[in-house]
Amino acid sequence: MSSLLSVRNIVKTFDTVRAVDGVSFQVRRGTITGLLGRNGAGKTTTIRMITGIFLPDSGQIDWEGADNGKPFRDRIGYLPEERGLYKQMKIVELLIFLAEIKGRKGPEVRASIARWLDRFELTEKREAKVEELSKGNQQKVQLIATLLHDPELIILDEPQSGLDPVNMVLVRNLLRELRDEGKTILLSTHMMGEAEKMANEIVLIHRGKVVLDGSVEAVRSSHGKNTIHLEFDGDGRFLGELPDVKHSTIHNNAAELSLTEGSDPQKILEAAVPRLRIRRFELALPSLEEIFIEKVGEETLSEVVR
Amino acid sequence: MNKLLAVFKREYLSAVRKKMFIVMTFLLPVLMAGLMVLPGMVMMRGLGEKKIVVLDGTGQLESAYSRKPSIPGKNRSGVTGRGVRSMLNVDYVSRNGDQNLDATAKQYIARMNAKGKEKIDGVFVIPADAIANTDAHLKYYSRSATDFIGQERLGSITNRAIHTIRLSARGIPVEELASLMKDSSVDGVQVSKSGAEKKGGAANFIVGFVMTALLLVPSFIYGLEIMRGIIQEKTDRVIEVLVSSMSPSQLLVGKILGVAAVGLTQIAVWLVMLALAGAYITTTAAMAGENILQLLRPATFVYFVIFFILAYLTYVCIYAIGGSVCNSEKEAQQLIAPITMIMMLPWFLLVAIITSPDSKLSVVFSLSPVFGPLTMYVRTLVADPPMWHIAVCIAVSIATIFVFFWATAKIFRVGILSYGKRPSIPEILRWIRVA
Repeated sequence: MSSLLSVRNIVKTFDTVRAVDGVSFQVRRGTITGLLGRNGAGKTTTIRMITGIFLPDSGQIDWEGADNGKPFRDRIGYLPEERGLYKQMKIVELLIFLAEIKGRKGPEVRASIARWLDRFELTEKREAKVEELSKGNQQKVQLIATLLHDPELIILDEPQSGLDPVNMVLVRNLLRELRDEGKTILLSTHMMGEAEKMANEIVLIHRGKVVLDGSVEAVRSSHGKNTIHLEFDGDGRFLGELPDVKHSTIHNNAAELSLTEGSDPQKILEAAVPRLRIRRFELALPSLEEIFIEKVGEETLSEVVR
Repeated sequence: MNKLLAVFKREYLSAVRKKMFIVMTFLLPVLMAGLMVLPGMVMMRGLGEKKIVVLDGTGQLESAYSRKPSIPGKNRSGVTGRGVRSMLNVDYVSRNGDQNLDATAKQYIARMNAKGKEKIDGVFVIPADAIANTDAHLKYYSRSATDFIGQERLGSITNRAIHTIRLSARGIPVEELASLMKDSSVDGVQVSKSGAEKKGGAANFIVGFVMTALLLVPSFIYGLEIMRGIIQEKTDRVIEVLVSSMSPSQLLVGKILGVAAVGLTQIAVWLVMLALAGAYITTTAAMAGENILQLLRPATFVYFVIFFILAYLTYVCIYAIGGSVCNSEKEAQQLIAPITMIMMLPWFLLVAIITSPDSKLSVVFSLSPVFGPLTMYVRTLVADPPMWHIAVCIAVSIATIFVFFWATAKIFRVGILSYGKRPSIPEILRWIRVA
């Protein structure tokens, strides 16, 4: 897979804070790349440099392959974390305007708008003003605006934030569909579970630096089989206190334990059997969440486990 | 370029479709005209409602206050001046031979406190020796000491009549008196550098004020509009979508030009209305001997458009900065209010500039950045400044606009995405350096 976008060693400083500190990664064509990290890690600043909102203090952002000499801004469809539309405008007029500033106009744009409105069941609202729409429908309109000009690279910053469950499923299905059509998607999120379900590749950012990147499978397998998934009945809180357990995520009837290097998982099972009724015991690849915690430390736990 | 055009179109259409725009465009001139005409009308009415009793101790001046022309074949205004009787309701009472005129006057003065039909507003007393004694005093009793217009009118009517009587007593035929006593009117004449003469005067002054206001007011209104628009985009969070689609400068230029076009549209409508009103006023003014037409020559409008655009583009940058660094209108108002005051300096000095358009002050202001366009426009309106002054002013203004645009674009780039607290002036200056 050839890469569409190469980010090389970009740096952005605000006053005294290095928001992005030498970030490099590639976005390959036809993949969903997850840009992961807790809030404030530098994801949005990185995206803003890719979209040309900020200029990097140093470093480069290169696009591979020309697309009819289109300016890079027109090759991107961007859904910002901060959603917003002109509240006073009619839906159709707004979408035409947003297509125009992406360099598209004419009858095909209108046809495309009609298609998208139909797909999101907004056709009868086409003459309504944005402020007259429900929040969910406003988000649909924003999503249409992101995709309307048929961008090569779709950048979604925390697309799930503020979505109701119905729209969340809608977005998830749409992303899969777009990927299957061969679109390239850069998905920024702090929700590891979401990224694990969607992304092929991940870039993990912490405090402005990339701490991990690669395909999801490679990342997980490189972190070895020292993770145990347990399901049980009983009070499992003691599991985290066992020797050899480096990190643990313990829920009511399930636990994910990552062990120190070279330790024997069998010991854990032996310790657990007398005190719990074990329903499942599995040596597994660690989840992204586990890897994330291992990489960046306990301090972010509260951020990640929501 | 297409993107800039898209922004331009959106700004223009969304502004022009607003109810506010339509109301402003058609109602404001009516309001302004009302404000100018109303005080005059109120004053006229105020005089017309005044009932004044004239006590004539000489008994010879009735003709001056009667409705009949005192001199056969002569317009009555030739004697009484300016058709005063249409404004003053005068009751003439001849008190010839009244030995105690003061006591009589007191009875009438008492009626100033009466109600209904009996009530009078003033008493004008002409002593018996008014014709013979050149040191005699006329007395005007009224409720307000400031009723100088009534006093002046009554005084001049009476004096004219007294003069007529005195002169005819010396054997000058009454028929000749009217032409002998005719006042010569004074025409204000403005001498231009090229030596050409134009009539000026009071009309000059009023037109200067109106045209300057017409130039200034939209600049500020639409400057505010830009500011509000940018803040709105920030609160609606649209701005990020916009600047990810085009450069901040494209967005800024598109917005500013779009709103400028709205302003020009409005001004075009106003100028048409002014021209229509002007056609009416000109015919009226021509009868009064004032030639307004030469003030409203084509050059006036050409300069108007040039200097409006220059002034607008200068002022609007300040508002764009205000909008991009602040998160609420209130905050922005506080930031730019002092700056606006400075920018409006020529407006506060307008009287000085209009009355002496070639003074050192006027020249310096007209050639300096920011103040240039407005001051120079006033100068072209009421005087004839040298061509090189105008050229320098335009050049300086264009340079100013470029510098302002450059700085604004930089501040805009950083400011539009900052949602925190309002930056201090040093912080804003740092944005200009780093962005």
